[in-house]
Amino acid sequence: MKKKQIIFTVIRYIIVALILLFLLFPLYWVLMTSFKENMEAYKFPPTFFPEFPTAGAYMKLFTEDQYFFRYYINNFIVSGSCAILTTFMAIISGYALSRFHFKWNKWIIAAFTSAQMFPVVSRMISLYGLMGKMHLINTRQGLILALTAAMIPFTTMLMASFFDSIPKVLEEAAFIDGAGRFKILFSVIIPLVKPGILAVGIYSLLMTWDDYLHATTLIQTDSLRTLSAGVSVRYLGELSYDWSLVNTISVIGIIPMLLLFFFFQKHLVKGLVQGAVKG
Amino acid sequence: MQNKSITFDPNKKKGAPFMRRITKDRLFALALLTPSIIVTVMFILVPVFDSVIRSLQDYRIKNIIAGTPGKWNEFANYMKLFSNNKLLPSIETTFIFVGGVVLAQFVLGMAMALVLNSNLKGARFIRSIMMAPWIVPTIISGLIWMWIYQPQYGLLKYVVGIFSAGRVTDFAMLNNPATALLGIAIAALWKQIPLTALLLVSGLANVPEETMEAATVDGANAVNRFFHITIPYMKSIIKVTTSMSIIENFKQFPLIWTMTGGGPDNSTSTLAILSYREAFVSNNLGSGAAVTTIWMLLMIGVVILFNIIFKETKME
Repeated sequence: MKKKQIIFTVIRYIIVALILLFLLFPLYWVLMTSFKENMEAYKFPPTFFPEFPTAGAYMKLFTEDQYFFRYYINNFIVSGSCAILTTFMAIISGYALSRFHFKWNKWIIAAFTSAQMFPVVSRMISLYGLMGKMHLINTRQGLILALTAAMIPFTTMLMASFFDSIPKVLEEAAFIDGAGRFKILFSVIIPLVKPGILAVGIYSLLMTWDDYLHATTLIQTDSLRTLSAGVSVRYLGELSYDWSLVNTISVIGIIPMLLLFFFFQKHLVKGLVQGAVKG
Repeated sequence: MQNKSITFDPNKKKGAPFMRRITKDRLFALALLTPSIIVTVMFILVPVFDSVIRSLQDYRIKNIIAGTPGKWNEFANYMKLFSNNKLLPSIETTFIFVGGVVLAQFVLGMAMALVLNSNLKGARFIRSIMMAPWIVPTIISGLIWMWIYQPQYGLLKYVVGIFSAGRVTDFAMLNNPATALLGIAIAALWKQIPLTALLLVSGLANVPEETMEAATVDGANAVNRFFHITIPYMKSIIKVTTSMSIIENFKQFPLIWTMTGGGPDNSTSTLAILSYREAFVSNNLGSGAAVTTIWMLLMIGVVILFNIIFKETKME
């Protein structure tokens, strides 16, 4: 029995070690490459730690490159606005879905659930024409609205599940005290779902930061491009890539969301788990 | 959860007219829902419906530029897709990709979850750092793996060289039609396993320990316990994680587009790639819409099938 347990423990550690290696080594590899000189990056066999660590690629990106930070800032503007807009709309609509049970609820939930499944390309094909007519194509506002729409279904249902866990007695008490519906919502209920608001906000920030397809189809002006779209147009050639630059861009592209995630991890994880369990 | 039985019906105590209160509630709820409904209808439901109509028309980018409407073309888009043999290989590629990634993701995610759920040292810390790939933007995760697969100085070429004792010296994952899809699947797994593992770990917490202990006392071995206790208790979370991963991989576009663009030799041309190519590279929006329409029908079919399978297993 004892021997069996030891074997079991060893197997467990091996599984964890292998999966962790698979998950984390690529990140280490990118980070290391970003600190190598181009000559060393292109060396074969590769070196596992830079022989001559240098921040040259970062310096080059910060001082010489005129495009990257424009895309970067655009991405902050777009996903920041999306996150604020999404969170606000998810709060009010999630509240309505959670508290008032009218016949239309099941239609709205059906629409939201199916909306999550539709391929983005099919929406892009008609949005390209429809947004052209509304003069929203090639504008930041158009991109923000389209991305927010993509986030609304999931975040609203997630938010509703947070409101579900708030006792209704609180509202009844406030109502008897003579508070209006908006006042009850904004000053009594919303403060109680702060963890949910954080989860929804960070989730939408993460997801919209990742967007590629919306930005590539709806934006043509280079100065309005976001990170993913800009990087793939500007830095990914057909045949040759400047790999140390690409790795540097990767590192800088990951950092803000990584910091945000580790800072708010507790809320986000709890929120997502709650949302997934409720389905 | 226990307050669900309490109904929000203060008018009984206040004695306000019944109709007025319900009407006010309805107006209030509708006002709160309106913004979400508008954006969802305007940017999701109408476009999807519109794209189905476009799939029946001769509709190209030049129609948008010239402002001329698309013309009904008697299913020509669909017929052409079938006759030039683009569609069926794409459907096959999509199903291989989705099936493989979903299965591998479940197995690896479950393995990770089981280990993390046991009293492993540092489980909390591991659970936290393992999430890192999930945060990495899709395009960047594609770039990271492209750098590892790089045909001249990539890490994988070196590793393969060592493991094959120097016999394989020109391993190029993404340039070979036989391995390109696998290369993309690995990148997809890399980004998706963390969330799957995380959700499954939280599901494992719902498995009651007493039942597990009782089964152990009764002589059930670890494998039996896993299939007869753990899995049934986790049914709902397994259903959610699997359907999430089916939908996500069915929709996967940016990763494939960045890493191979559908090549080499169309070996990674999934429905997402085919529809984008038709619509925005060949500038034939109608044909692209035909692909996405078929794609949606397939996806709805898969999701319905999936739900039926899960309902039936519940009966056991």
